[in-house]
Amino acid sequence: MPSLPLPDHRPHSTPAPSRRTVLMAGAAGAAVLPALSACGGGDSGGTEGGRLRVGVAGGSAKDTLDAHKATDNTDIARVYNLYDGLCGFNPDYSIEMVLAESVEPNDDATMWTVKLKEGLKFHDGSDVTADAVIFTLNRITDPDDPGSTAEQFATLDRDNMEKVDELTVELPFTDPYVNLLEVFAEYGVGIVPEGYDPQNPVGAGPFKFSEFTPGERSLFVKHEQYWRDGEPHIDELEILNFPDETARVNALVGGQVDVISQLPHSQIKVVEADDNLDILDSETGMWLPFTMRVDQEPFDDVRVRQAFRLIVDREEMVEQALSGYGSVGNDMYSRFDPGYNDDLPQREQDIEEAKKLLAEAGYSDGLEVELVTGEISPGAVGAAQVFKEQAKKAGVTVDLKQVTSTEFFGDNYLQWTFAQDYWSSRNYLAQAAQGSMPDAAYNETHWDDEEWIELIQKARGTVDDDERAEILKEAMEIEYERGGYIVWGFVNTVDGFHKKVKGLEPSVTGHPLTSYGFRRVRIDD
Amino acid sequence: MIRLILHRLFYGLVTLFVVSLVVFLATQALPGDAAQAMLGREATPERLAALRDQLRLNDPLAVQYGSWIAGIFTFDLGMSYAANMPVADHLAPRVTASLSLMAIAALVATPISLLLGAYSALRRDRALDHGTSMATLILAAIPEFAVGILLILAFSTGWLQLFPAVYAGSASDVMRDPRQLVLPVATLVLAVSPPIIRMMRASMIEVLESEYVQQARLKGLPERTVILRHAGPNAIGPVAQVIALQLGWLAGGVVAIEFLFRFPGIGLALMDAIDTRDIPVIQAVTLLIAVVYIVVNLLADVVGLAANPKVRVSSR
Repeated sequence: MPSLPLPDHRPHSTPAPSRRTVLMAGAAGAAVLPALSACGGGDSGGTEGGRLRVGVAGGSAKDTLDAHKATDNTDIARVYNLYDGLCGFNPDYSIEMVLAESVEPNDDATMWTVKLKEGLKFHDGSDVTADAVIFTLNRITDPDDPGSTAEQFATLDRDNMEKVDELTVELPFTDPYVNLLEVFAEYGVGIVPEGYDPQNPVGAGPFKFSEFTPGERSLFVKHEQYWRDGEPHIDELEILNFPDETARVNALVGGQVDVISQLPHSQIKVVEADDNLDILDSETGMWLPFTMRVDQEPFDDVRVRQAFRLIVDREEMVEQALSGYGSVGNDMYSRFDPGYNDDLPQREQDIEEAKKLLAEAGYSDGLEVELVTGEISPGAVGAAQVFKEQAKKAGVTVDLKQVTSTEFFGDNYLQWTFAQDYWSSRNYLAQAAQGSMPDAAYNETHWDDEEWIELIQKARGTVDDDERAEILKEAMEIEYERGGYIVWGFVNTVDGFHKKVKGLEPSVTGHPLTSYGFRRVRIDD
Repeated sequence: MIRLILHRLFYGLVTLFVVSLVVFLATQALPGDAAQAMLGREATPERLAALRDQLRLNDPLAVQYGSWIAGIFTFDLGMSYAANMPVADHLAPRVTASLSLMAIAALVATPISLLLGAYSALRRDRALDHGTSMATLILAAIPEFAVGILLILAFSTGWLQLFPAVYAGSASDVMRDPRQLVLPVATLVLAVSPPIIRMMRASMIEVLESEYVQQARLKGLPERTVILRHAGPNAIGPVAQVIALQLGWLAGGVVAIEFLFRFPGIGLALMDAIDTRDIPVIQAVTLLIAVVYIVVNLLADVVGLAANPKVRVSSR
């Protein structure tokens, strides 16, 4: 229902903006557009209400609505819509205060003070309070039944969290913790009320629970007391699981769903050819590296690692493995971190230099390695095949060992000498804690570099953002010079949607459909 | 004849036992176990150990199998690892959904196939007969999911946009939008029909050439009566066995079709269970399919015996 323009009783001295000035404002920066549509609220153009039907990749009988245990895509999509956290990621990966009014550290980031916004309501009408925050953090860090983000709260002194007043909590940490905001922004840290029961999931997100069948579908309805003015626009949100990608695309093309996540590259043309459909192409910080174990032959020799990095023609790999839906990487992850090191030259294919390095390392007669690959993420097997071809030019024989993804992540995961993996967008300290520090749960390259570790520890205690960014730049340079990853590219997320669905925008978080941000969406008829 | 049926039943039970053992061992041979499949990349050693304990995956194989088979005798199919609820509760709506799909397919396929087969026989060596013969041969040679893909292209996403391409509802409510069932049912019908049509044609031709049909014609009975009262009923007898076997095939064939159309029945549950290494569910679904096969085969035998007086008498 397009709303009528308000009658204008003012004299004509202040004319409404002409179409032309609006267009120019739009052209000045794409960032203006989302801002305009976001402040529109319920009383500007566009239709309110209706049901949005979403097809999401994956799902199985083990699907859950538990706020703190989401693993599969469909779990994540639901969690994003049922629960709000203290903070959140904006589409450009900057941090937004969500339920929190402010989250402030003390001088050495060992004590954080969380202040909640006023008047926030859970789905059951109860208030979002300091007690709920303490309950949530206790639930996530329960040693008997930890949530998926429990490891990131390892240094939280959970017994000494203190409620200052109804809306304020003080959180003590045993070590300085400078990147707490990022952890609070993750989807697995949704705030839930005291006595929360995942069988009857109550949160403070834009939609509330109505129906759910694991492995099949869920139906959520609008949370009338949601804190963002005018959102959500739609009344009902139906999320359908699609284990098979062809069925997912068929459902979109056939009009049974309005949007789908993760369009396979082979199907992008199919969707683009349809006048009613469009794609949402988002650059992301998701990377699909080759992993070289720095403690095993031949990769224990830094010259071999650098040679392998020089073998890769990154443009060609993005073109072939990702059908062009991606961008080249420079052997460093966390491209959206404020400290990302842009000063280092882009590494290009250099077969001569690679051969020279291999010869110096004692492999002048060639080298044979096994590369473990599998359908762990779209493009992974393709990238392995491209690498095999590119490596031939440098006299390196690559034997591909393709395994199922269950086997890939099975007993030998993190033990493969030369393999691949995928990682979503994360800032540098968070990523280091997950994948590169010696005590990280997924240190797949067995990276253990003293100089680098020292820098990370220093950065972890540096509260000043600019100062910390400088330290991280140095740390990244070390990985660029001798790390165990080949970060050849970043993967775009491509989703499909019907053109009547308005409000989705590209987001670098790596989660499809603007981080499943269906509160933004309107359906025009 | 009763003895013969009891005999068959006994062997049926033995077959079921062997199937359950083979499936159990086969799932053990898959890389990774349920704990690993469920945790995926989140599988830290501590969480793995805790979950394995919880699911009792650390018990010796014989104990795991033994406790499962003991459950069967008390009609307890165990707990689904992934869904964390009794297998029977997890599967009940899916079994109903699949049975509905199969029943509709059977009700559509059987009469159409019989009529088409009989009609081909009557029009022997004419264009329609050759056309049917060619079509059934081709359909019998194409795997059923390929037929499904072609149907989707033709009637849903490509050429004509008549029917939904996937099933977008839930298992407990399959009849809510019957249009969604059209393509999956059509695929199943095209998959089961060819052998029935061919058998009916052959049987009908044989009967039409038999002496009693000639006799009836010579008596001056109208052709209508000859075909409907004399030839038809006698031709159907031998076909009944083929029909039963084809319907038995449906129980297994539905697996690929459900995946293609996202139909939430036993097939999708089985694929899902294999992914999550949910052994109790895999066992239950495969046993169910095996039971259907065995029962249908038994019925086919009984029908065959009943229709053949010679066997009926000699095996008394």
